[in-house]
Formats: sequence, C-alpha cells, structure tokens
Amino acid sequence: MASANKGPSLFKSPVMQWVDERFPLSSLMRDHLTEYYAPKNFNFWYYFGSLALLVLVIQIVTGIFLTMNYKPDANYAFGSVEFIMRDVDYGWVIRYMHSTGASMFFVVVYLHMCRGLMYGSYRKPRELVWILGCLIYLALMAEAFFGYLLPWGQMSFWGAQVIVNLFSAVPFIGPELAVWIRGDYSIGDATLNRFFAFHVIALPLVLLGLVAAHIIALHEVGSNNPDGIEIKKGPKGNRWSKDAPADGIPFHPYFTVKDIVGVVVFLMIFSAIVFFAPEMGGYFLEHNNFIPADPLKTPDHIAPVWYFTPFYSILRAVPPLFGSQFPGVIAMGLAVMVFFALPWLDRGKVKSIRYRGTLWKSWFAAFIIAFFVLGYLGVEPTTVWGQFGDWASFLDTRDRATWAARFFTVVYFAFFFLMPWYTSRDKTKPEPARVRYHEHEAPAAAE
Amino acid sequence: MKKALFAALPLVLSLCVTTAWAAGGPEIKIVGATASSTNVESLQRGARLFVNHCLNCHSAQFMRYNRLTDLKLTPEQIKQNLMFTTDKIGDTMNAAISPKDAKEWFGAVPPDLSVMARSYTAERLGAYLRGFYVDPSRPTGWNNLVSPNIGMPHVMAELQGNPTVKETVFKADGKDIRTTSDAYGRARSAFIASNTMASFETHVEKKDGKTETHYIVRQLVPATDGLMTPQQFDAAMADLVNFMGYVSEPYRNQRVQIGIIVMLLLGLMLPAAYWLKKEYWKDVT
Repeated sequence: MASANKGPSLFKSPVMQWVDERFPLSSLMRDHLTEYYAPKNFNFWYYFGSLALLVLVIQIVTGIFLTMNYKPDANYAFGSVEFIMRDVDYGWVIRYMHSTGASMFFVVVYLHMCRGLMYGSYRKPRELVWILGCLIYLALMAEAFFGYLLPWGQMSFWGAQVIVNLFSAVPFIGPELAVWIRGDYSIGDATLNRFFAFHVIALPLVLLGLVAAHIIALHEVGSNNPDGIEIKKGPKGNRWSKDAPADGIPFHPYFTVKDIVGVVVFLMIFSAIVFFAPEMGGYFLEHNNFIPADPLKTPDHIAPVWYFTPFYSILRAVPPLFGSQFPGVIAMGLAVMVFFALPWLDRGKVKSIRYRGTLWKSWFAAFIIAFFVLGYLGVEPTTVWGQFGDWASFLDTRDRATWAARFFTVVYFAFFFLMPWYTSRDKTKPEPARVRYHEHEAPAAAE
Repeated sequence: MKKALFAALPLVLSLCVTTAWAAGGPEIKIVGATASSTNVESLQRGARLFVNHCLNCHSAQFMRYNRLTDLKLTPEQIKQNLMFTTDKIGDTMNAAISPKDAKEWFGAVPPDLSVMARSYTAERLGAYLRGFYVDPSRPTGWNNLVSPNIGMPHVMAELQGNPTVKETVFKADGKDIRTTSDAYGRARSAFIASNTMASFETHVEKKDGKTETHYIVRQLVPATDGLMTPQQFDAAMADLVNFMGYVSEPYRNQRVQIGIIVMLLLGLMLPAAYWLKKEYWKDVT
C-alpha cells in the first residue's frame, strides 16, 4: 500500500508502518518536530510556550478528576469542594494543582505575551499566530472567570455578580442581557450550572482548537527569535538538510531536551506553591472564598483574582458618563482587544528590543510599569493611597489611587495608540545579518 | 546551657506576637501567644475546648470525628472524650442545637467553623477569641474588640472571667490637647504602648457644618475572676486557634511532608535534565 506520508517512514516496527500507510504520522512528526527548524538562539523567554502547553495539560487532567466529585449545585458546590479536599484520597493535591495551575497559566501566558512584545513576534509574517494567541488569551480569561464561580465562595459569587452586572451597563438592552447571561435575577443555581458547562466543556474545546491552530500557524511561518530577524531569509543548509535555514536546528531533539530543563524548573516553582503555600498569601486562593456564597452579605471589599486586576483597575478608573458605567466597561474591553491590533500599530524598522531605539524602549518600560501598577491597584480598595486634601474638592473623587489608576490607564492606551507615531520615529540600531547565538556575542555587521 | 536552650524552645516557639492590621472594623493591636501546628498536645487540648465550647452552637460540618486520629487519639478516646453520645465516629461535627433554634436565639445561624481559620486567618481568630469584654448595653451583655457589636456572647467567660475595657477618647479641647493632629498623636502612642489588646478607631462627626474628628482607644483589662489565670487562658486560646487551623486544613502537615519529597525528586531531576541538554547541545555552534 502506498504510504500516506511524504518521505520514508520514521518507524521500524511493522505496526507503526501499518499506521503510517494509513495516517501521515511520520509526516506530522517531521513537520512539527524532527524537521521543524527553530532558530538556535532562543533564550530564557522562549520557555513559556511549551510551559503554557504543560499547564493546559495539568488543568485538563486535574479538571477531569475534580469533576468526578464536584457538584454543580448551589446547595452542594461549596461542600463538594471541601469533600474533595478532605475525603477524596489526595483530593487536596488535585484541587491545589488546579487552583495553582489557574494562576500559573496566567503567569506563563503573560510572560509569553511579554516575549512577543519584546522581540516583535507579532510582526509580519506572524500576524495570524499573534491573533490566534490573543484569541487563546480571551478564551483563557473566560475559562478562568467561569471556573472561579464553581467553588461557590463569597468571592466566587460577588466577583461573578460584579462582572455580569457590567453587561447591565450596556445601553437599552443591558438589564435584560444580564438576566439572560445569569439565567436568573441574581447569580444562582442556574448560573452555576451554565458556568460549569462552559468551564468544563465549551471553553476547553475552544482552547484546544485554538492552541492547535496557534501551533500550526507558527510552524507554517517559523519561529521568531531574540534578534527579530528571519532565519528563512538567511543562508540555507545545515547538518540535517540542505534546504533548511543555516541558523535553524531541529526542534526535536534540541528544543525538547532544552524544554525539559524548563519544565523541571517550572515544576519546582509549581510544587513549592502547591505544597507549601497553596493560597499564595490570598492571591491564588482568596481568604473570603472560604466563606460560602451568601447573596445577602456583600463583602467589604470585592477584588477579582490578581490576573484580572489590571483591567479591573481600568474599569474603576474611568468616570461614569451620564450616570452610566458603560464607558468604563468599554475601556476595559478595549484594553484587552487592543492587543489584536498590535501587528498593524507597530511601524518599527526592526522587531527586537535589542535593536530598538530609546523611544520605543521608554514606551515599553512605561507600559510594563503601568500594567503592574494597575494590577496592584486593582487588588486594593481605591482608598489604599489615601486622599487629597480639601483643596481637591472640585475633583469627582479625592482618592489618590483612582487618580493614579487614571494616569496609568492613559499610559496603557498611549503605548498602543501612539505606537504608529513613536515606532516610525524611533532611532533603531542596525540588525545583524545572522542571529547571535552566544548571548554576549558582538552583533555581526549589518549588510 | 544547651539543655536550657532546648527547654526554652517551646517557649520561643509560642512567643507572643504583636501585630496590627486594619481591614474591616477597627484597627487592632494583637497581643497573644500562638502554638505550632505540629504540637500534637496543643491540638488535643484545642480539640477539647472546641468540642466543649464551640460545637454547642457552631458546626464543623466538613470535619469527621474519625479524622481526629491524626492527632494521635484512638477511636475509643475520640468517642469517650470528644463526641456526643448520639454521634457515630464517621459523622461530621454537627452543632448541638438545631439551626432553627439557633436562628431564634441569635438572630442568625452561627457560621460553620470547618474553614473559619482560612477565611479569617489564625491571627485574627485568636484576637477575636481574646477580644470579649463586658458591655451591659448589648443584649448578650458582651461586646468584642475585634468585631464590635457581634451577636455572639463570651462562651468561655467561665474560664476567663469578666474582662472589661478601658475606653479613652482623644479630642482637641484647646487646652491640654490643642489640635486634632495632637489628639491623633496621643491616641496613636496610647494605642501602640498598650500591653494588652487594644483597638483604635477614628470618629468623624459633622456638627453645625463643621467636621469634628476624635479618636477612641479601647484597651482590654484582663479578668482575674475566671477558672484560668490570664496566662492560662491566653495559652488555651492559642491551642484552640491551633486546632481550628488544623480543622480547616487537616492534611496540612501531610501536604508539607509530601512537598519536601516532591522537591527532592525534582531537585534530582534538574541536574539530569541539564546534563542531557548540555550533551545534546554540544554540537550546536
């Protein structure tokens, strides 16, 4: 029988050859592993793609075991989580892995996105890779939001209440829209059931599909690298193939063995949290979420989990217009969606931070600072930095933190919206002709 | 010398902690001992206090009695000393009173205590349990420094006695205390200098269009009329909080033990993984 593969089979075993005649297994392995040539100069920042995949697997596997004992019922949800923690053998390991995994997913994804920003990985020809990545980020936010309701603690309940209420700020159809989302007039059993369905089936399917598309699109155009230059445009021919880029090396075994080092280091951090500090000082598991949801008792201070707080800060910072919170909701949505536009906002002559000028670097630094400050302020009440004195009574609020959040919201958006201007004026350095393999190697002279 | 140091170890471990926090309610200066979560005797004493004083009205509905074998107690000891006769050893800890009665008596069902130590932190629980004082203006006759006007009476008054509170109001009077900021300074130093638990509150009142600010410092006056001395009661509360911490996460010590093994295994894997990478990458130039 003719092989379903391009080229000879990678397998000696007759069983695998039988498979190869009917399924392009060898071809797939070549295209994505053994003959996928990745730039050899990947650095620390290139661990987070494979780590994100690892966390996705951890979340799916632990999630499957959690669903075996979790009960999506407003009367039993909180108790079933405690049942898992106490009466299921090693249930606490599974649950802490899942709760730690949720936060670590965002840690890894934020670092992965930061890498993209630093080295211009979103630029042509990787726009679609970037867009698919942004869609993954959106799906991940939804997944995290739906999942957070399930333990049915006070923060689950009131956090969901706050977010769903944002939809009621939509003009004209708002209140009906919010009822439609909740399936009830307030967060209740119906909401818990549908959030469970979204968290356990709908979004994981979407996530898996998007992740597959993200990787396929990446392998089509090839990986970027810390120098931000295209190895495919450089000289051809390496030890493995005469057509492959000279600066590329096979993903397997070179990057698989390298990523294993990253995986072990990551697992050490991950395990340290799971076994020694699963609450992470109230950031991964909020203290208030150990109180069962009580619709009649609003907590003094409602803060979303840390990974949403930069956007929550932006929401709170925007003053209401004609008594409507809608502008804040729009700003928050825009803060997430603006990432999609990045490939077309950046007009820089170079991609990598290594060859960018002071102008871009300053804006990038300002953006990172803004992201952290907004993130911090979103955790705290708006009174955290005190108030301005009586002289400021003409302002709509005297809370210093709100004004700081407003300032950094402007910085956040300026980073994106002024990008066409400052990237085209930036005094860049010449890019090298070939990638620099050793970290401190002097850049090769530009052509 | 070495022996003396060793003997003093438990004392050092249970050293008095003095901290302050300000989240919901007045700012509190905490004075009180803590106990180690690996101290089994402390946990056992805490279990007895918990069963005798808390479970009358509160439940710990996710905690099973037979789990207390963690604390080196035999099922027989648990049955005889810690359980109501009607319960089975596999049962969870239910309150002695029915939720319906509780609602009638207290206005609300007393909260379940299974994970109380995780939502309020051990430190805050300890402060709360030590924070009761006599207040004839309250329906129960009791008030609490940490959670003012709470519905719960002081259920361990028999042990502690009847602590009272010394309330000092600091207000600018134009004479001794000239300005509001002077009042603030005096109030802060009284609060910080207190050697018993204390609370600090700021009151802002609007009077004839003017805002008046004054500061209230309440200091706990320890009782001496209980079955326990103040020191004994303090240690007992450390045990009780320790036990409540255990109840909220009974597998905690096991978690840490397994964690150490996992970290050691990963620690062994790391050099192996690193060596593998180095070997493969030798020929990349």
